[in-house]
Amino acid sequence: MSHIPIHEAADIVSEVGRILLSSGATTNRVELMMRKAATCFGYGKTEAYVTPTGIFITVSDGSDKQTTSVQRIEGRRNDLGKISAISHLINRLQMESCKAESPSMSVTKLRAELYKLDNFKPWPAWFQIFSGGTTSGFFCLLFGGSWLEFAVAYLVGVLVTGAMRLAGMAKLNNFLLNALGAALVVIFAKTLDIWVPYIKIDNIIIGGIMLLAPGLSMVNAIRDTMSGDLVSGTARGVEAVFIAVAIAAGSGTMLKLWDLLGY
Amino acid sequence: MDSPFNHLTLMQFCWAFLSISGFCVRVNLRGFKIFFIAIAAGLDWAVYLIFLYYTRSVLLSVFVATTLVAVYCEIVARLCKTPVSVFVTCAIIPLVPGRSLFYAMQAYISADRALASNHIADVLLIAGTISIAIAIVASITNLSMRLMNRF
Repeated sequence: MSHIPIHEAADIVSEVGRILLSSGATTNRVELMMRKAATCFGYGKTEAYVTPTGIFITVSDGSDKQTTSVQRIEGRRNDLGKISAISHLINRLQMESCKAESPSMSVTKLRAELYKLDNFKPWPAWFQIFSGGTTSGFFCLLFGGSWLEFAVAYLVGVLVTGAMRLAGMAKLNNFLLNALGAALVVIFAKTLDIWVPYIKIDNIIIGGIMLLAPGLSMVNAIRDTMSGDLVSGTARGVEAVFIAVAIAAGSGTMLKLWDLLGY
Repeated sequence: MDSPFNHLTLMQFCWAFLSISGFCVRVNLRGFKIFFIAIAAGLDWAVYLIFLYYTRSVLLSVFVATTLVAVYCEIVARLCKTPVSVFVTCAIIPLVPGRSLFYAMQAYISADRALASNHIADVLLIAGTISIAIAIVASITNLSMRLMNRF
């Protein structure tokens, strides 16, 4: 399927990159997937340079035809399901273009498929909110909580995940969102602590904090640095440190406030 | 507890399994991948506990557990045709030092700076150890893939 216009190819390839990068893929993978897609369209000399906040790509077929596009990536969320779905799609595209010379997957169909993937939600919102509760509840048990503490941590997890969803709609930045999340964990846990007797507050708060811990940024930072993308490795490492600082700041502020109030 | 291979470790395995399956739903994963990722996380935590019992060293246990699980992820993720980073990211979540971070903050609040520095050092050391373990496994996998392609 090498006969599609170069602008169209550049558009689709940078759309693939945008979806991957904004759902939290590593730089190496974004560059690889964009090059694969461009090669399938017949532009084998494509070069991509990706940082965590933007994509630079030159689509070229090796002769005089080439075009460059730059794309700024705004919000980044953790959406691992989308990463693996896009990888599947690109691999399928590659297999099909290797097998048959005729274009088996047309451009409009590919565009429609990308759009569908971008807006696909595998689980309903209420189920995701409840599984936030599952995560925090079982982390509470993991760190040595009792069953009563599990119940409280479950409730805290559900409340915090729901509140974070609402706060996410207001397009807060990442630092503030995590600080707010950690503060809410402490507020909910301390409030429930007033009414529920015989619970130890520590494990509940830790269970809630594990919901926010920057595991994804940390792993991405390491993998980026190891594959030689020093710019994005450093940027993601700093992101992980800042999220940790935000969590500490949010929970610390609320703990101190409750301390001053005398509970 | 004279041996770590008992029902308590099994229960801990189950808690890690269940919490990570919840986490997977939150990051929009679906299908049978969730099962394998949750097993990876459970193994991560169980291996950590077992090594902690025998070696009495947190960092060594974290290192061994992360290395083993990263190897598991490299193999199983390729079988599931999923990016490896998706697997590794979710599987190491139980070891991420959120607990030490909270204890450090609590110690700062109660003006115990020595204890707080102790916990902060824990956070940095554990995070660094996880990083090193993942980096080693990723590099070795890269190297062996290249060697396999050559011969």
